[in-house]
Amino acid sequence: MADTGTGKWLPSYQGFPQAWGPHPRKRMLMTPLLVFLGGIFAFAVPTLVAAFFQLMFFNAPVSNNWAPLSASAIEGRKVFVANGCVYCHSGYTRPQDVRAGLLYLYPRISLPGDFVSNDSSPNLFGTARIGPDLSQDAGFHPDDWERAHFSDPRFVEPMSIMPSFAFFTDQQVEDLTTYLQVRAGKDGLLRYATELYAKKVQIIANGIEDPPIGFQGAKLTLNDVKDLAENGSNPPPGKIFGLEWPAPLNIFGVDRSYWLADNPLPVTKENLLRGRMVFQERCIGCHGDKGDAVSEAAKFLRPMPIDFTSADDAGGGDDTSAGMLYYRVLRGIQGTAMENFGTRLRVDDIWRVVLFLKTIPNGGLDPDKVPTTDMYIQWQPPDGLLELVKNMPIQKNVDFTEKSEPDDPFVLAARRFLAGFNNDDKFDLPGFGELSLAAARDGIKAIYNQLLDQGWNDYFTRGGSPSVPTSQRDILPAFRIDQR
Amino acid sequence: MAESNRDLAAGVISADETGRRGFLQRHFGSEYERVTGFGEIVYEHDDSAARVWLASSVFWFVVVTSFGIIIATELAFPEAFHGISWLVFSRARPVHVEGVVFAWLTMMYWGAITYMTPRLLGTRSLWNEKLGVYLAYVYNFVIAAGFFGILTGASQGREWAEFPWPIDVAIICIFIALTFNTLMTVSVRRVRPLYVSMWWAIAAPIWVTASIFIENVVWRPGAIWSNPSGALENGIHDAMINWWGNHNLFGLWLTPILVAVVYYFIPRITNTPLYSHTLSLVSFWGLIFVYAAVGDHHILQSPTPGWLKTIASVNSVAILIPVFAFFTNVFLTMRGQWNRFFTNLPLRFVITGFIFYILVNLQGALQAIQPFNIYIHFTYFIIGHSHLALLGGFTILGMGVLYYVIPHIFNKPVYSTALAEWQYWLVTFGFLLFFTAVTIAAFIQGQGWLAGEPEVNVLPALRLWNIIRTLAGGMIYMGAWIQIYNLVRTYVSDTSARRRRHATKDNESSLVGTQPETVA
Repeated sequence: MADTGTGKWLPSYQGFPQAWGPHPRKRMLMTPLLVFLGGIFAFAVPTLVAAFFQLMFFNAPVSNNWAPLSASAIEGRKVFVANGCVYCHSGYTRPQDVRAGLLYLYPRISLPGDFVSNDSSPNLFGTARIGPDLSQDAGFHPDDWERAHFSDPRFVEPMSIMPSFAFFTDQQVEDLTTYLQVRAGKDGLLRYATELYAKKVQIIANGIEDPPIGFQGAKLTLNDVKDLAENGSNPPPGKIFGLEWPAPLNIFGVDRSYWLADNPLPVTKENLLRGRMVFQERCIGCHGDKGDAVSEAAKFLRPMPIDFTSADDAGGGDDTSAGMLYYRVLRGIQGTAMENFGTRLRVDDIWRVVLFLKTIPNGGLDPDKVPTTDMYIQWQPPDGLLELVKNMPIQKNVDFTEKSEPDDPFVLAARRFLAGFNNDDKFDLPGFGELSLAAARDGIKAIYNQLLDQGWNDYFTRGGSPSVPTSQRDILPAFRIDQR
Repeated sequence: MAESNRDLAAGVISADETGRRGFLQRHFGSEYERVTGFGEIVYEHDDSAARVWLASSVFWFVVVTSFGIIIATELAFPEAFHGISWLVFSRARPVHVEGVVFAWLTMMYWGAITYMTPRLLGTRSLWNEKLGVYLAYVYNFVIAAGFFGILTGASQGREWAEFPWPIDVAIICIFIALTFNTLMTVSVRRVRPLYVSMWWAIAAPIWVTASIFIENVVWRPGAIWSNPSGALENGIHDAMINWWGNHNLFGLWLTPILVAVVYYFIPRITNTPLYSHTLSLVSFWGLIFVYAAVGDHHILQSPTPGWLKTIASVNSVAILIPVFAFFTNVFLTMRGQWNRFFTNLPLRFVITGFIFYILVNLQGALQAIQPFNIYIHFTYFIIGHSHLALLGGFTILGMGVLYYVIPHIFNKPVYSTALAEWQYWLVTFGFLLFFTAVTIAAFIQGQGWLAGEPEVNVLPALRLWNIIRTLAGGMIYMGAWIQIYNLVRTYVSDTSARRRRHATKDNESSLVGTQPETVA
């Protein structure tokens, strides 16, 4: 820039203006009226945009998954709200949950249309996730698991830091359980219906009483548990290829390609130790710290957890091959409190746990010992199982992989329960009736419709909402966990 | 000293009028000469309302930190308090959260407002001092009833809005009455120009009252003392208005009064005029235009409309404009005065809170941006952020207010400056440790979840940080007990002799309470 030689920036400035304006400080003095009215105006504009535009312009249509809550679930929701469950358990799944592959916990991304009608008020969005999100949790656990978990979460999940809600009344426990089991819409109802159907089959096949409701189970003692485990079951008569109930059901719950599968990992000290570590982290809640299934959780659970200390069961049981145990840990057992640990364990760790289970009868869980390879019991398939495999040959799985009706969610749900069944397999369970995929599909569908109808009836009883068309009821659920 | 009577008449002028008069002259120009020239001489203010509000806040601070330490213990040791319904984590947490905002900080803020208002307006007391006192007692009762409601399971279950419906209504009524009292005091003021702090003290209660009214959906009572009540019909709408209102508690109540308090106490303690009137205007109008639309950044990952998320994100970053105007103003006011940060304890509290408040704004702008929010959403990062604001920022500021104001309103120096020093370091370091622990835990959570680990698998890695967090909470809790002990001893002890002794020594660090009524 040329130097003007004047030392000033603006040599063209000519003289003074005609008059001085008011001093800026005086112009900008704030009067009370300005603060009051200006403050209200300045508040109203962003409030209109951020708080009221969404009410005026954002009315998402109801999502296909939405289903109304039953009256009991509404009561359960009040318990949920009053006890502040939402501070650890958020109420919507995010895109990144599904992207991260947490499909068993979060099978779908929440939609705006999931939160319509008075059923979703007050909102339960939550701000932190110390525990898992519960918006899609329905049907992943049976009711008796939920009861034991409310009584003390460490009973069924030793790593949990959730507080105990042992002060609930039985009615509150039942309502809250109902709410959790139906809050996830139709997908959740389908999973819950599968659990209920499977529970009915399990109860009959094991010949046991229904699980105690509420916190009634907590009144039992550990001796009662031991007694129940020894004398409490009265399985139905009859055998399937020489196998007594409930062994066939335990086998049918496992995909048949696993029936005779052996453990891919070698029996080494390291593998056994790692298996024991995982067992003590995750499994001792229900199966007991001695592996004998005498535990606090067992008071609530029917069927009871499995006793691993029986040498016969570990070595020559009909339904305890490495592959079957692996499958049960991976996917859980429908109708029992056994969870799908595939959500939270690596597959190699599951195989190690399965290795370790076979050392428990020989003192693998003894606190003074380290599991060694000579404690391991090699499993031998019993004759009955071999005969069963011969009659339900694995080659038929060619047909099994080609699903008929792959879009029918009820068929998929039935396959989730009876994973070992082929389309035309059919057995008779005394006291229950036919055990087949078709019967399971019809049974699950009936329970599903019953749950849905109850929700809709209660919904209309309490007034309903004009924003939800009744045709919503007929949209089918989706079975979102890919079981193929 | 000729014009000292006229200076004192304004109520804003210290007897040590060097700079003070210049402050008003520079600030208000020739207005000062006209407005402060008449009126009665006011040497002492009534302050009975400020006494009750501040004393109550000290009590509630102990209560809410008790609940804080209880819930921190339960996270580290889940079997603690096994089966006690009203101490279960999920019921104690809302008491801690609501208590910090509505019991401790709100009562401290109303104490500060009722302390500042007569001094800035040149009146002896509030328009109706008894109304202020009476409302403080009622407010205590209302808060206690609200805690009872939450602990016995009558919570509304909407975060930061858990108080049952009648409590919401009562809080709104009390705020309206207090705002009315302030406005009437303004109408009978002796100093015509309104100082910056008064703008906030007038406007912020109006904003937050309106916000509480809308957020709590007071027009939909539902079940009066239970849930569901005070919620919109559709959960998605309810969530959006819930979070919009939640953030307004910070943006339209805690932040504005923090600004008012900083704008009052820093010039007052350092005896320096505020640097710029214009920057004050920028921060005032900018803050309200921007801050009332950021709440939805809490639910950026939820199925809410994209335009609302965009507004929330953009405004959360745009907040930096008004708050940087505020920061600049305060830093330029503090020029050449930083030695007093080390020698004057109330000033140190106020500046420390102010600096943490700067950090919380930077952090908040960062975490309201979608890519980073994906990483930290639902983690402890949010807990760290809110403690940076509410503990590091507003609480430490409030301790400065207490240590400056209590000697004035009780007319004696505080019992022990050594204890106050202990409190400062315990709370500051306790908070820093807490913040570090939860932030590290948050990154463990965020990283684990995005890698596909379910929540329960991440818990063992959090155990250590939960324990450290509890220990850090214990330091803060000790600070709370030191504060109540120190201030109760101040109240019950006769420290006037010590005051005279200290006043003659001219020792700045013992200035806590050594210049009481002379500072008006």
